[in-house]
Amino acid sequence: MKSSFRIRAVAFVASAAVLALTACSAGSSTSGGGSGSSPGGDQKLSIGLVAEPASLDFTTTDGAAIPQALLGNVYETLVKQDDSGKIVPSLAKSWTVSPDRKTYTFDLVDNAKFTNGKQFTANDAVFSINRVKTAWTISLKAAMDVVASSKALSPTQLQVTLAKPSNDWLFRMTTRIGAMFSESGVSALATDPVGTGPFKFSKWNRGDSIVMVRNDDYWGSKPFFQQITLKYFKDATALNNALLTSTINVIGTVQAPEALSQFTSNDKYQVIEGTTNGEVLLSFNNSRPVFKDLRTRQAIRMAIDHKALLDTCWAGRGKLIGSMVPPTDPWYEDLTGVAPFDLAKAKSLLQASGAAGKTLRLRLPTLPYATSCGQVVKSMLEQAGLKVQIDQLEFPAAWLTTVFKNADYDMSIIAHVEPRDLGAVFNAKYYTRYDDPTLQGYLAAADSGDEAAQVDNMKKAARRLSEQAAGDWLFLLPNLIVADKNIKGLPTNAITENFDLSKLAR
Amino acid sequence: MKRLNPSLVVGGVIVGVIVLMALISFVWTPYDATLVTPASRLLEPSWSHWFGTDKFGRDVLSQIMVGSRTTLFVGVVAVGVAAVIGVPLGILAAMVRRWPSEAIMRANDLLLAFPALLLAIMFGAVFGASTLTAMIAIGIASVPSFARVIRSGALQVMRTEYVLAARAAGRRPLPIAVRHVLPNVTSLITVQASVSFAIAVLAEAALSFLGYGTPPPTPSWGRMLQESQEFLFSAPRLAIFPGIAIAIAVLGFNLLGDGLRDRFDPKLEDRR
Amino acid sequence: MILRLIERTGVFLVSLAVSSVLVFAFMAVLPGDPARVALGVNASDQAVAELRQQFGLDRPLPTQYFDWLGGLLHGDLGTSYVSKVAIGPQVFDRLQVTLWLVVAGMIIALVVAVPAGTLMAARHRKLSGLALSAVSQVGVAVPAFLAGILLIVVFAVKLGWLPANGWTPPAQDPGMFLKQLILPALALGLVQGAVLTRYVRSAVLDVLREDYLRTARAKGLRPFQALWRHGLRNAAVPVVTVLGLQLATLLIGAVVVERVFVIPGLGSLLLDGVSNRDLLLVQDVVMVLVLAVLLVNFIVDLLYVALDPRLRTAS
Repeated sequence: MKSSFRIRAVAFVASAAVLALTACSAGSSTSGGGSGSSPGGDQKLSIGLVAEPASLDFTTTDGAAIPQALLGNVYETLVKQDDSGKIVPSLAKSWTVSPDRKTYTFDLVDNAKFTNGKQFTANDAVFSINRVKTAWTISLKAAMDVVASSKALSPTQLQVTLAKPSNDWLFRMTTRIGAMFSESGVSALATDPVGTGPFKFSKWNRGDSIVMVRNDDYWGSKPFFQQITLKYFKDATALNNALLTSTINVIGTVQAPEALSQFTSNDKYQVIEGTTNGEVLLSFNNSRPVFKDLRTRQAIRMAIDHKALLDTCWAGRGKLIGSMVPPTDPWYEDLTGVAPFDLAKAKSLLQASGAAGKTLRLRLPTLPYATSCGQVVKSMLEQAGLKVQIDQLEFPAAWLTTVFKNADYDMSIIAHVEPRDLGAVFNAKYYTRYDDPTLQGYLAAADSGDEAAQVDNMKKAARRLSEQAAGDWLFLLPNLIVADKNIKGLPTNAITENFDLSKLAR
Repeated sequence: MKRLNPSLVVGGVIVGVIVLMALISFVWTPYDATLVTPASRLLEPSWSHWFGTDKFGRDVLSQIMVGSRTTLFVGVVAVGVAAVIGVPLGILAAMVRRWPSEAIMRANDLLLAFPALLLAIMFGAVFGASTLTAMIAIGIASVPSFARVIRSGALQVMRTEYVLAARAAGRRPLPIAVRHVLPNVTSLITVQASVSFAIAVLAEAALSFLGYGTPPPTPSWGRMLQESQEFLFSAPRLAIFPGIAIAIAVLGFNLLGDGLRDRFDPKLEDRR
Repeated sequence: MILRLIERTGVFLVSLAVSSVLVFAFMAVLPGDPARVALGVNASDQAVAELRQQFGLDRPLPTQYFDWLGGLLHGDLGTSYVSKVAIGPQVFDRLQVTLWLVVAGMIIALVVAVPAGTLMAARHRKLSGLALSAVSQVGVAVPAFLAGILLIVVFAVKLGWLPANGWTPPAQDPGMFLKQLILPALALGLVQGAVLTRYVRSAVLDVLREDYLRTARAKGLRPFQALWRHGLRNAAVPVVTVLGLQLATLLIGAVVVERVFVIPGLGSLLLDGVSNRDLLLVQDVVMVLVLAVLLVNFIVDLLYVALDPRLRTAS
């Protein structure tokens, strides 16, 4: 059965490839029964993911699940990141930056169309950028505050003026706040998203799956699959079982790394392992007296044997990092040597700071990696002479209120998955309560300087955090994907907010 | 002559073993049940680790032993809550006049509309997930069955001649309840307690599975089962030991309940 | 009889009213602000306050309560704080899924329990009866989710006979619907069946001890004939009561099985609602569950009267 399926799949690719040529030259036809407009014909794919979106509207609802499904697939941005993290054209063919680094001029593609039939123009871009300030409610919209004005110079030319130079702004335009909306397509964002992307939103079976179909009018190269279903599983084991029984073809994010062995030992499947932006942070509440002492913070970092921890609680999958920077960022440096595991030194530091014997509350969100690694952290810190009391807080609601909003905690464990989030996480207003003018100085210099200055200052910032032991970076979450052997185009590193469906093929 | 009742014996032995295990675990376990030792993770069962070790390198046998404390704690709290509220309610409903009695039983029925799992999830959301909150919720949800059973038993007692005599002699209701009714429904209470105990143990397992049960690192059979899920194929023993422990404990308490019921009164089958 | 009917209906309605107050009050004390969860962690207090106002959370509690109740009476369950979608259709969809599951589970439970329980009672002194009792005891002791996991491992992953999880509406693909229904319904039904078996056994045992059955047997009827002609109707009374209670607990108890088999039922809607602090949704789901339980109890009450001739005359 398996082999016959393969042969059929190959035949599809061969015949459809010829048709794709005609489709490209003629401009694409309307749906036309599904086959013929793309190399994949009417092939379908099903991907298993873990967190179902609460809504489809990422302008008013926070959470990683919505952009994961929609960004790049349904909505597109002016610029996007390629696999190596470089900013490359998308809806903007090219762009120029003025010498004072405050004015950006984008040349837009002229053949992009929204799925409601409207042409994409510079006016839509202006509308979308302005709308972030006026209609968006999620906190991430703050990245657009730096924009002073935006205007359409022509239907295909957009000019954006910033209040001050900002390297970060262009990068943020690759994330969800850079999504381009149609002026007449924002009436029902929560249920009916309208974008220019390679896929059209088709159906949402709440509690189960989101179905997308190929946008046959897409302006760029058309995706392979005619239909892709994103199926959501709350339980990691159920997700694995679904792949084992061919209910799905891909596990988008493996949540039970220990169970990987059943796939690695089976040649029906491929396992992809790369990096993400998800720094698993053992966060300290830096406003608590006990954490005011640098020696205590350093001692905690030294008391943790990170290699053993990773092996124990996440099956050794992931990468050890010594600061808040993933290896795919341009300013990454290996800082794992700043506070190496040294139990004896940790003990003496704790004695010196007077923290030995004190009880710290480790308030964990109910997430698999936090529950698992929290128990290892507790055991390791207790061997260094601290007492650790674990509380579990229901994620998201209870954890967000208690730890995030009220900062009523000593330590917690959470993966910060937003890209380039060093500055956002370590400041006095955030739950880390980390007040450090030196760090802020580096960050400001990085944002306003040229590219070399940015890299240089971000490196300094990352090292500063590590040396000051503002938190402890347990490890970087791996990008773990398991899929049927014949699926191509899966990303090695998951460094963007979206799961790119357009490159997938069979 | 009273024949030895097999349910009672088997149930009693199982419950006895669990209690003994819990008591021993206070003074001795083979290893520290919560100590994480990465070097000895996922060991197969051997002479040094009879049941092997889990992914944290913790000894499974030690965890099962300490986990029996959680199981007993779960049962005692849930049954305690249910009995402390349900028994007086049942006796009261049997002793007062028709209208108040009807009102009590109706309120009781209303509580039935909030099943244990629902209450536990809601309590967990309000007070934070912990063994205690979950068990209080399960206890409250078990009140109605206690009240019903006790009421029907108490009604029978109220019709006995000595109670009628006591009432005729002008005894006040409270002394009657304490001196005559309560002692005569203790057998019912024991039976119901045993059955509710089993239900509470099952409920804790289900809640732990959903993430509303005993938080780590306190060893609990339910959570061990939940943590073992990702090893179903590579190390199924991690699921088997706590799974069997739960099943045996529930079996023990159910058998004990059955046995007690048969012993006290063969005709008093549970009708609810 | 009619008086009794009116009384029961009255009790049912009052119970509903009281539980609606209880449910609402409970939600009001639930910590965790739905507006903050919706807006994300960095949202300003002002933005949160605006959203609270938009949700109507800043109004006095009694106003909120009567608004909600009024909506319910008109069949309007409101709009979710989080997904901004009408709640009514969602609850209705999920309820259907759960009902399929629970009803299928109940049928399996009955199919197992009635013959097994009767047999156990009829042979309660023989080895076969005792063996069956032992099996049912073990069945009662297995948590439903453990049964589910075992079923998946054996029948889906190892043997590949049935899908491990998922749900397809019957209208979309009846074949797939049945395939996906079998394992979860078994997980639910076998465990419930074991519980029910014990009630059937004791009910039948009770009936067997009754005088009229002894008379029937004295007249030369074989035990099963006697039971069939005279006993089952009487044995049905306590069994129906238990069935009603079980149906009620199953509606919420199915949540665990729904989790194991990834079924989008009412229970998972409730769990999602709780973790997203989608308060109105939680409130509605709990109210629907409570309504279902009260309704089942009400029907059982009525069945009682219909089934048992003695109860009928007694009132």
